[in-house]
Amino acid sequence: MRKMQKRPPTRRARKTRVLVFLVLALLLMAVSLLAPYLAPNDPNATNAAAQNAAPGAAYPLGADRYGRCVLSRVLAGARTSIFSAVALVAVSGIVGSLLGVLCGYYGGVLDSVVMRLADILLAFPQMVLAIAVAGVLGGGLLNAMLALGVTSWTLYARLARSHTMACKAEPFIAAAKLSGCGDARILLCHILPNIAGPLIVNAATQLGTTMIGIAGLSFLGLGVVPPNAEWGSMINEARSYIQLAPWTVLAPAGATVLTVMIFNCLGDAVRDLADESGVA
Amino acid sequence: MEHKPLLEVRHATKEYKRGSRCVRALDDVSFTLQPGEILGIVGESGSGKSTLLRQIVCLEHLDSGELLLDGRDVTHAAPRDVCRRVQLVFQDAAASFDPRRTVRQSLYEPLRLLGGEPDPAARVTELLRQVGVPEELADRRPAQLSGGQCQRMAIARALAARPAALLCDEVTSALDVSAQAQIVRLLASLRAGLGLAIVFVSHDLALVSSLCDRAMVLQGGRCVEQGAANALITNPQEPYTRRLRESVLTLDALRERERKA
Repeated sequence: MRKMQKRPPTRRARKTRVLVFLVLALLLMAVSLLAPYLAPNDPNATNAAAQNAAPGAAYPLGADRYGRCVLSRVLAGARTSIFSAVALVAVSGIVGSLLGVLCGYYGGVLDSVVMRLADILLAFPQMVLAIAVAGVLGGGLLNAMLALGVTSWTLYARLARSHTMACKAEPFIAAAKLSGCGDARILLCHILPNIAGPLIVNAATQLGTTMIGIAGLSFLGLGVVPPNAEWGSMINEARSYIQLAPWTVLAPAGATVLTVMIFNCLGDAVRDLADESGVA
Repeated sequence: MEHKPLLEVRHATKEYKRGSRCVRALDDVSFTLQPGEILGIVGESGSGKSTLLRQIVCLEHLDSGELLLDGRDVTHAAPRDVCRRVQLVFQDAAASFDPRRTVRQSLYEPLRLLGGEPDPAARVTELLRQVGVPEELADRRPAQLSGGQCQRMAIARALAARPAALLCDEVTSALDVSAQAQIVRLLASLRAGLGLAIVFVSHDLALVSSLCDRAMVLQGGRCVEQGAANALITNPQEPYTRRLRESVLTLDALRERERKA
């Protein structure tokens, strides 16, 4: 019997996959933005009568040990979790890419210093270094983002540097110099647009990891400080009551898994599409 | 009467590091280029032809020697300082255009940056007419053009700066015979119409003898022979030039070799 061979997905199928996950990611972002209007209760309002209340009409996903609405807190936490990850990926992506482009284009002392610094930072496991930095800086969302940002720029810098080095040897860069382009114009108008593809793919695949990182730091008490709602800190707060009120852990954990999966799938879909187009 | 040279290369020497050893790509090369003159440079692969052109447009700098443009020392100048007087047309024309831009956008770039053009759009039209390419092709990306069309576009971009000299780095090597003839005719007409001086680097001795006034033979980075193009190709004095000439594959030569074998 002839063996059926699995066909690789067509370009159209890959585009559809990107579109589906992009719509889902945008939907999540829209929900997090509209959280104050969608939340059935005030996420920080306590109610002694509803401590660890099971899901019901007043509290659709139950209440935590202070009687706060879990659904309202999950919705409020979405904004913190999603937008802090997006902001961190954007800032570290821009800073790392610019540093990498400058190192790749100019080389020399700048390249040696920045790349050795990146090597040192990459020598430590990212989360261990982030815990150490967050421990020194203290709690708070901004400090958690700084702690993760200390290492996350290195990936973009390395990628941008190697692509810049390949790109600057292309004849069109020499032709641009002979067309009167200065270094700034060559970097911004010729090199960056030509290496943007792999950098965007890298950023897309990093979104989920960054979300896990921020939630992880918050879970350890090094990120968002209670009573502010954040999924990692919500799980940390509720874990002692997991047998008594499992919904207080399951709701933020489920939201984290769902969101990270959607952003990871979006990153994978973008990478697959870029691989096929020869961008990545 | 001999004019003041447009370009003068004196004792040009360039070395590259290949691992632990140095390779001398150019070794004491000297020549001059007069305004309106076509100089052919021939030599086998790795003889230093392209390296020499990259030094002249200051994309790289000589280790020793001098480069004079209009009598001005430009040995250590930047490409921006010389590109109004001398332009380079690359061997791989398609790769010399930014793949993300249309050819028209690439043509606008020197017109905007090097200034002096009151109407860039009209100048682009004029350039395309000069090189004989339909204007609608300018709105395509380089990958959407044929080799010959790309090479003409590259010549148009080089002309945008209104240079006095054009350095052509094996511009016909990737083209079929009819496209080669068109490019050679175009270069000859540009010299006649604009008084351009041209440095024509090629492997094709027949093209060099038909197009060039003078020719120079490079071997291992050294200039082994130079003189009038016709005389140099038809009656070479140096053994290396004779070997180059004998290595040209023609049907007659192939038949002769088969007969001898």
